[in-house]
Amino acid sequence: MSSVRGVREVPGTARPEAPATDRDHVAPRSRSGARRAGSRVLVYGLVLVVAAWLVAPFAWLFVTSISYQKHLLARPLSFIPPEVTLDNYRMILGLVRFHAEGQAAKILPSMLNTLIVSLVVTVLNLVVGTTAGYAYARFRFPLKHVSLYALLFTRMLPTVVLVPAFFLLFRTLGLQNTLTGLVVAYCSFTLPFTIWIMKAYFETVPSDLDKSALVDGCNRLQAYYRVVLPVSGPGLVAGGAFTFMLCWNEFVVAQVLNTKPGTTTLPPVIAGMNGQINIDYSVIAASGFLAAVPAVLLVLIFQKYMVQGLTAGSVKG
Amino acid sequence: MVPAAAPRSARLSEAAFAWGLVLPAVAAVVVVVFLPLLYSFWMSLADVNLLRTSGPALELFGVRVPLFRFVGVQNYVRVFSDPLYWSSLWRTAYFVAAFVAETALVGLAMALVLQERFAGRPVMRSLLLIPWSLSRVVVGLLWLGILDFEFGALNGLLDNLGVIDGHIAFFKNGFSALNVLVSVYMWNQAPFATLLFLAAMQSIPGELYMAAEVDGAGYWNRLRYVTLPAIRPIVFLVLVLATVNGFLMLDLIYILTMGGPGNDTTTISWLGFQTAFNFFKFGPGTAILYTLTALCLLLTLVYHRLILARFEPES
Repeated sequence: MSSVRGVREVPGTARPEAPATDRDHVAPRSRSGARRAGSRVLVYGLVLVVAAWLVAPFAWLFVTSISYQKHLLARPLSFIPPEVTLDNYRMILGLVRFHAEGQAAKILPSMLNTLIVSLVVTVLNLVVGTTAGYAYARFRFPLKHVSLYALLFTRMLPTVVLVPAFFLLFRTLGLQNTLTGLVVAYCSFTLPFTIWIMKAYFETVPSDLDKSALVDGCNRLQAYYRVVLPVSGPGLVAGGAFTFMLCWNEFVVAQVLNTKPGTTTLPPVIAGMNGQINIDYSVIAASGFLAAVPAVLLVLIFQKYMVQGLTAGSVKG
Repeated sequence: MVPAAAPRSARLSEAAFAWGLVLPAVAAVVVVVFLPLLYSFWMSLADVNLLRTSGPALELFGVRVPLFRFVGVQNYVRVFSDPLYWSSLWRTAYFVAAFVAETALVGLAMALVLQERFAGRPVMRSLLLIPWSLSRVVVGLLWLGILDFEFGALNGLLDNLGVIDGHIAFFKNGFSALNVLVSVYMWNQAPFATLLFLAAMQSIPGELYMAAEVDGAGYWNRLRYVTLPAIRPIVFLVLVLATVNGFLMLDLIYILTMGGPGNDTTTISWLGFQTAFNFFKFGPGTAILYTLTALCLLLTLVYHRLILARFEPES
């Protein structure tokens, strides 16, 4: 115990005068050394518990995806797979034939559909939503507050209540079972979010920037896209990554609107495989893991911006 | 941007410019949110027959929107006289209450752990985002891998430890299945609450803690008298957001229980979804979903008051 304490003392006590490397606030520690060592152990113990809670279920999904179903059913259960296999991935990628290859063959095309829809919605959101967010952050104009209330309301709206309307309208418009239809439907829940996040972001960009651009001879539009937009990378990344994630993960709307084979996105296809008894869980786990990887990577890569943008967006309103 | 004393014409052109920027987004939101919302509302007052759309219709820009037969509040009367609606409503109330409590408590507990000083804190903050970034379809699937009767890892673990004789069927009993749904959804959502709590805790001035320590306050007293009062607005925010999310949850039910066993995990949103899209009764289905919308509208008012009252004192 004393060695733990000794190691702790050096960096711990020197900290208050050191420049704050992270701005996070830390509660001061108790003065008694033994209690401090004890509380260190407790903190690390709790951190481990939280880490396990967050990661273990997802890690297990990966383990099952590289296991044979028979090993998942074996008792005693081995948490380290006795035999590692990529067969599940080969099956869903169509590299080996198996009894449910019809289902599995939908994975890759639906992944492409998801990618197209998510990218188009993200670009639309960034163009249209960012512009609106900028105006809401900077200017006073008639009906500003009314339209902001309306946006706030749509953020809380159950998207599923719109789906019957989309269903019938898309049928008359010929948008049923099309990616265009999904893009339209997805804008209904992403656009209010993007406007809100971008509004909160632009409020953190000093308005002196636009003012000096105006003095320098830009007109208002040029001040926006030549001066403000180029320094708004973090906000755009936050809004874009969040929109992409929402679309990539969306299930209910795609499940209802695009039922024709080949027109739907990844989540409904995986849910469909889950509903079939003749497909092993390990195969479904592989498709689930494949679906999860892009979203998880995206969020981990852009986490700094996303966390800033989202907390600002929901706190600042 | 332009000060209030600016000439009238400058303010006018500023307003025109701002509207120019806002218009595409506002028009898009009107077209993809408010028009469908109105149409859904109309359907909740109509006798919608998906096979016969030849009746009365509205011509909009060359698009024929079928209006069906207007029946007034008949769908609502039908819905409200169905005992399943009321039992689903009480179940939803339980679900939301349990979900809000679990999300707030676990979210706060994780935030309190993660704001301590320890090696690898940035890594932990990244891990926080994993459950939250997954599609609910994947969330449902991976918990199925843990809780399933046959191949579930938790049953395997308990079996290895010799704690259980035979496996536990987590989804067989209705109440147990409902609570599993609550906790799985909490696993997915609590990390976001943690992020909000952490952001709020970071803005508490360090002097407050130092003063508390000088006064001899221990950990729990600092938590009670410094941390919790300072993050109170965020606690409210988390509660409101969790309440709305709880009411709307649908996809996990689809993956894990399909509203069963029996109707034991049928919430209002699942009942509406099922009525509309499994039984294709759009009239009653939209009526059910509209009662949900009304609840959310009410919560928006609360949320809005919170935001304006507490977070924008400067404007």
